[in-house]
Amino acid sequence: MTGLENGKPPLLDVRDLSVTFGAFAAVKNVSFTLQPGEILGIVGESGSGKSVTCRAVMRLLAAGASAQGSVALDGRDLLALGEDELCAIRGRDIGMIFQNPASHLDPLRRIGQQVAAPMIRHLGISKREGWQRAVRLLDDVGIREPEKRARSYPHEFSGGMKQRAMIAYAIGCQPKLLIADEPTTALDVTVQARILQLLKELNRKTGLAMILISHDLGVVADICSRVVVMRGGEVVEQGPIDEVINRPSHPYTKLLIDSQPGRRTYGTTATAGGSAPLLDIARLSVTFGAGRSLLGGIGGDHSFRALDGIDLTINAGETVGIVGESGSGKSTLARSIVRLNTPSGGTIRVDGQDVGTLAGDALTAFRRRVQMVFQNPYDSLNPRLTIAEAVAEPIWRHGLADRQTARKQADALLETVELPRSLRDRKPRQLSGGQCQRVGLARALALKPQLLIADEITSALDVTTQAQILELLVRLQRERALTLLYISHDLSVVSSLCQRVYVFKAGRIVEQGVASEVLTTPQNPYTQALVASLARLPTERTAPHSQSVSHHAT
Amino acid sequence: MIDTPVLAQAMPSFRKPMPTMLVALAILGGWLALALAAPVIAPYDPDAIDIMNMLSPPSALHWFGTDQVGRDVFSRVLFASRVDLLLCVAGVLPPLLIGTTIGLLSGYFGGVVDNVFMRIYDLTVAFPFFVLVLAIVGVLGPGLLNFILALTLVGWVSYARLVRAQVLTIRESEYIQAAKCLGYRPVAILGHHVLPNAIGPVIAYAVSDAVLVMLAGASFGFLGMGAQPPLAEWGVMIADGQAFVQQAWWICLFPGLAAISLGLGFALLGDGLGQIQRRGVTA
Amino acid sequence: MPLLQLISRRLLQLIGVLAGISLVTFLLVHMAPGDPARLLAGERASAESIAAIRAQYGLDLPLWRQFLTYIANLVSGDIGLSLRFQRPVIQLIEQFMWPTLFLTGYVLCLAVPPTVALAILGARRPGGIGDQIIRLVGIAGLTIPVFWLGIMMSRFFGVSLGWFPVSGYGTGFTGHLHHLFLPAVSTAIWLVPVLTQSLRAALIEKTTADFVTAARAQGATERQIFWQTMLPNAVLPTLNLLGVMVAFMIGGAVIVETVYAVPGLGTLMVNALLGRDYYVVQGLTLVFAVSTVLITLAVDLLTAFIDPRVRF
Repeated sequence: MTGLENGKPPLLDVRDLSVTFGAFAAVKNVSFTLQPGEILGIVGESGSGKSVTCRAVMRLLAAGASAQGSVALDGRDLLALGEDELCAIRGRDIGMIFQNPASHLDPLRRIGQQVAAPMIRHLGISKREGWQRAVRLLDDVGIREPEKRARSYPHEFSGGMKQRAMIAYAIGCQPKLLIADEPTTALDVTVQARILQLLKELNRKTGLAMILISHDLGVVADICSRVVVMRGGEVVEQGPIDEVINRPSHPYTKLLIDSQPGRRTYGTTATAGGSAPLLDIARLSVTFGAGRSLLGGIGGDHSFRALDGIDLTINAGETVGIVGESGSGKSTLARSIVRLNTPSGGTIRVDGQDVGTLAGDALTAFRRRVQMVFQNPYDSLNPRLTIAEAVAEPIWRHGLADRQTARKQADALLETVELPRSLRDRKPRQLSGGQCQRVGLARALALKPQLLIADEITSALDVTTQAQILELLVRLQRERALTLLYISHDLSVVSSLCQRVYVFKAGRIVEQGVASEVLTTPQNPYTQALVASLARLPTERTAPHSQSVSHHAT
Repeated sequence: MIDTPVLAQAMPSFRKPMPTMLVALAILGGWLALALAAPVIAPYDPDAIDIMNMLSPPSALHWFGTDQVGRDVFSRVLFASRVDLLLCVAGVLPPLLIGTTIGLLSGYFGGVVDNVFMRIYDLTVAFPFFVLVLAIVGVLGPGLLNFILALTLVGWVSYARLVRAQVLTIRESEYIQAAKCLGYRPVAILGHHVLPNAIGPVIAYAVSDAVLVMLAGASFGFLGMGAQPPLAEWGVMIADGQAFVQQAWWICLFPGLAAISLGLGFALLGDGLGQIQRRGVTA
Repeated sequence: MPLLQLISRRLLQLIGVLAGISLVTFLLVHMAPGDPARLLAGERASAESIAAIRAQYGLDLPLWRQFLTYIANLVSGDIGLSLRFQRPVIQLIEQFMWPTLFLTGYVLCLAVPPTVALAILGARRPGGIGDQIIRLVGIAGLTIPVFWLGIMMSRFFGVSLGWFPVSGYGTGFTGHLHHLFLPAVSTAIWLVPVLTQSLRAALIEKTTADFVTAARAQGATERQIFWQTMLPNAVLPTLNLLGVMVAFMIGGAVIVETVYAVPGLGTLMVNALLGRDYYVVQGLTLVFAVSTVLITLAVDLLTAFIDPRVRF
């Protein structure tokens, strides 16, 4: 392939790699090559076999899995190596970092010890020397006060710092190849941008070749020169990144590109709703007392202010977005509106009524007007109820119909969210994540609310599923004249969906305005950082093709 | 976004039926049948004294031999199973019901109730379980009823603690948030959403607990603090036979084997249920 | 120093629990049905002697005054007077506690090595034949009544084979070892399965832990992974269980000592119960509870020492 064209022997040559778990083929005949110093991206959605492929390269598959084919590193077939030879290569010639740095660091050992361990093992240096090198490495990967931090334990590190430590852990022996398995998925976007920057620098300075596995085409496009697109255990397309993005040959790649948030705007229309705001939040503050049991040093202050003087209004028929990273208070706001939290100050008014003082019938009426859809597709549905039962329950519990009629209405609602009738008697775990989110939507709509709050409802979903859910949301908003409050960490999703945006940081609103303006001309430094962190596809170069691509909407 | 569901789905051992569960159900069903049919099956009156046939070894006439006053050990083992089975149920159900209710309320509502409960819990686990039950029975006076009372007084705490821990995680799950948001009443949320999802591990624990209850009951009978002679109960029978164990090992052996087999039934069932619970979590 | 903070916080909690324990042991005797003075004096006591006892023990005072007296006595080290022996309970406990302590230590020594070996064996190939056998034998071990096993073993090893004495405590260290062997084995047979299951489950959980995969990806050998990563992480839950188990062993000692006629605290307790010597029961319950609390505290501190996440 491309590797062979320029004559150099490839660093890694994967040929006809297949991985089976019993009768199930997770990876089928995958072939690709990697040149020294190159960054290769492997992109795919859940179940595409991208992680299994890389674990097969490292021979890290669980017992019961078997791999066929060949994986040659510098001409040596890794699949044929014995355990001892393998141990000599792992960590020495190939380093690996993982999606969730928190669980991949040993909680009982100091960071410095863990970073030093592979060097002591492979390079035969003393413990003392290992420690010193570990401190230097921590410095190199951008950890401040490395001397002190080397003595810390993983739980004392933030998510981004853990991933930096993980990188230090993986590159200590100066491997030829670094495999990064979703290294930024669990991180906030601004942290993600910095980690990607670090990886790029490592590649530039030391010529370290990398394989970056990601579900996020934007991330891959940001740092990779070539990309392999996988689906259902097979490679559907591979080639130089620009070529694949600008001239995708496989329909799935086209779909993937088209589903990228920010590639198109969903036409939510602000139905003229009059001037009176439907939701009016004034100087809202929420304070959490420090938990008595598990709490690492937040310092002398024993309470934590999750929201600090929030002012926000939504007019009837509007679609408003809230963007923020973890800990910004965006979910706290959603929960406060539906009275799952008790505010410590300020007011929330819906149609002029103070939500905090509602009780009895007025509260029931409020419940019917304001509904919420949650983040986690599986956790938001009671695992013991069939989906039809879950959707029917609010109807009969509110006395809107008897149980029989409620069931019929539930069927209609499931149809509205485009779920086939055959699924109605399934339990949540028999459904896909996207289907569960549709059920969550149907359940929220059962009470015919005016205001629908969607809290990160697509963040656990694949990007193509996300696009479908967003389309559905837009259709429902239009048909049912919903007022929509859409909360997400993803600025590009929010700005493609919403008319207005609020940007949250550490419990405060740092910027607000018309969605497209916030995205293109951010005023606040934090918003600017957020916009800059967006791993977007190179849209300007794809301009001539975007037309043909957007025809392919599902 | 991670490929773990694929891995789990591909694991072959995950969906096998469990033969141990069937064995367990067979054992428990067998004992239940024997206990119910004891008057029909038993060849002798369990309390009939036969001085002429004292300490006779197992034979065709007396399958398990006779004890020091000539009572048929086989018949007594059969009749004792009624006492011991009843003991398991009576020793498990009251703590289960009380503990589940308190744990549910304590975990879901928190606040003062929860605080008081946690202090009671801290205090109860400070005492060795067996010693506390023993001391309470000692003060109330020996007997099966007092044993069950003491067991309930001490035992509900473990159930409440287990349920509370379940409820604490379930309470934070999004389907409970959604239920609140949909305006369901607390009773409906607790009964329809929290309890059904919390009860699984509790049932598994209760079945395993039945083993402990049965062993404790037999031990109390042995120490003279539980069932009182001449009532046929396995622990009492073993205590009776202890003095004669050198000449007549059969008096002690068979009630012990009976206790082990019943215990095995509960333990295997509890183990199986526990595995199903854990599997349900992972799959 | 976070560890010191933890200790001081735990000591504060300890005071609360100790107060609770003394209240429970106090109520134990006083909430019993019937007149405590009659219980103390015995069934056939005359009205005069009951009255005398009532005055002697201060039972005519209001309950809260009695409790204060009880607490004051406890603080000064007086945990009551045995009616039967007419000696302070504390003296009796001092006399009887050594066999029990020896037995407990003995059981631990017998139980821990096989636990570690079996758990490792089982966890090495989860679901394999060895693992299944260990698990099933473990379940069976749990269901054996300790007292029955004691009787059967003393009959077989003691009487038939004559290898071990079947009662008493013996003299000297080796004498103790010899005499307490059967009691210790009887208890260990029950303890090993419980601990094995816990350690095995913890080990298996850690074999699939992400940090083990990470260590493997860095070229650690399976041996290094096991000893340096898996075992330390798996020991924590078992350590906690061991704390609970020691409390259970104290209860088990009551039965085993009775079966083997070991002159320990368990025997003292059963005799006091049967002889209605309530102040001995009360004092022993208190001592057992305080020991349990102290062991739990020790386990917690040890856990904090191993696990940096618990310290704060």
